[in-house]
Amino acid sequence: MKAMREVAIVGIGQHPWGQFPEKNMQEMGVECTVDALKDANMSWRDIQSAAYGAYMWIADRGGVPSLLMGTSIARMMGETGIPMVNCVNACASGQAILREAVLAVASGHADTAIAVAADKSAGGFFRPQLRDPSPSKFDRGAENDTDYIRFCMTGETNPAYWAMELRRRMYDVGTTDEVLAMAKHITSQGAVNNPYARYRKVFTIEEIKASKYIADPLRLFEICATSDGAAAVIVTTLDNAKKHNKKPLLVKAITIGTPTFGDPTIRLTFCSAYPRPGVLDLSESRNAINVIYKISGLQPADIDIIELPDNSSWHYLVYLECILGLKAGEADKMLMSGKVHPITGELPVCSGGGVAAQGEAVVAQGLSQVCQLVRQMRGEAGDGQVKKTKLVNGLAQTYGYAGNNAACILSKAW
Amino acid sequence: MAKKQVPIIEGLFTWPSDRPQLLASKCKKCGAYFFPKVPYCGNPDCAKDKANMEVVPLSNTGTMYTFTIHTAQPALPFRMEPFTPYGVAMVDVAEGMRVLGMTTTTEGLKIGQQVQMTVGKLYEDADNEYITWMWKPVEK
Repeated sequence: MKAMREVAIVGIGQHPWGQFPEKNMQEMGVECTVDALKDANMSWRDIQSAAYGAYMWIADRGGVPSLLMGTSIARMMGETGIPMVNCVNACASGQAILREAVLAVASGHADTAIAVAADKSAGGFFRPQLRDPSPSKFDRGAENDTDYIRFCMTGETNPAYWAMELRRRMYDVGTTDEVLAMAKHITSQGAVNNPYARYRKVFTIEEIKASKYIADPLRLFEICATSDGAAAVIVTTLDNAKKHNKKPLLVKAITIGTPTFGDPTIRLTFCSAYPRPGVLDLSESRNAINVIYKISGLQPADIDIIELPDNSSWHYLVYLECILGLKAGEADKMLMSGKVHPITGELPVCSGGGVAAQGEAVVAQGLSQVCQLVRQMRGEAGDGQVKKTKLVNGLAQTYGYAGNNAACILSKAW
Repeated sequence: MAKKQVPIIEGLFTWPSDRPQLLASKCKKCGAYFFPKVPYCGNPDCAKDKANMEVVPLSNTGTMYTFTIHTAQPALPFRMEPFTPYGVAMVDVAEGMRVLGMTTTTEGLKIGQQVQMTVGKLYEDADNEYITWMWKPVEK
């Protein structure tokens, strides 16, 4: 970051993904905060600034304390009076809060900062926060809630949107059922030895193709589940990081992506698009990727390992193309070639099984991806360690609905 | 007596009508369209002046850009009684907009086919049938 201090990741803590009805989100947040502090060889009082993921589904659970996650976790950690911010950028929240922590340190506002997200999203399709199907009963305008309109009046769930994009892709570039099944099959091989993954088994091509359609052409095993999960990442100045951890990861670039006017995509929670010439789909994702390459001075060929947001098999393909600057359709060939195998690939992608093996814990997802990159780049992924030994630059990108995206590049700093 | 047909949310399409049309906002200055209606033009280079925005009905025919057939049943507030698998589509209309909507059928849907806007019932109570806009494939 120009004219700013270099910032490095000095500690990570992660709670396994899955379903944990016996714990609340704040407990999960405390567990991974404690783990991250231990990993950073620091104490809670060393943290000078904090950013938290604000839980989105408070109509289901958690209530206002989980929306105001920072101060409610501080009640358990012990209040120290530091600045705290709560952020909702949909599924891209995790990296959005990491950016907040990084900027706090880069700017000199704080020397050490933490990003923490804890989430209990397990339980079916995401849906609007208004639950009454008869909007006339409301004293507020449901006509202004496009999320409610798209859900109630068009039946569009998140997988429905993904499926529509996928069908168009199949029409335009010929993506096949075999490729879709392979995306799940290959990433699942990364999950087997990832203790943080929810589904630690290899899904065979046969069982994936035999799973039922949710929204055709997407099948049950080709879309991610919804999960509980939590993670924490501590950042400090690069100089200070070297004193606390033998293997600090420089945050070479981190950004948030939002859409460009004229994007042809009808993004989730909206009902229309107004496509303009020259504007590509997934503009929020392309914008984020362009920025991190520009800030870092790196190119796709410099990236050694990738965590991409495989919320569905469609996502896997389009995000591989987005990150590597490939033409539409080229990801299919790359996937089938084995080059991007999570463990044995020359460019490992989703080494821990990705979102497909974890299920999405909305606001924590981005931090989980960063934790996985850090473990791999440090060589601390145990039996799940990738075979590739040169891991200098790692890239993580998180998909969020409604035009929210975030991405970062981490670099080995020892 | 036939039940009254009531849009689930009012104001999204012309109703009652024999030939319903979606209601969009058009910016008189730059020509951009938005659906549902918006108070300001979303073009970043256009003035944020409510007086520029006019409500216009969209073409009620279009071209199928893509679709899915949704077989799983969403939870409330989505309500369809009785539940059956349904189609959801993105349709390109003449004004240059791409618009979401359910389809009237799950049979014979094709990318590139012509569709027409109509309405369809999702559920009913003692007095009313609750309707939404839908895209219906046109025979050619």
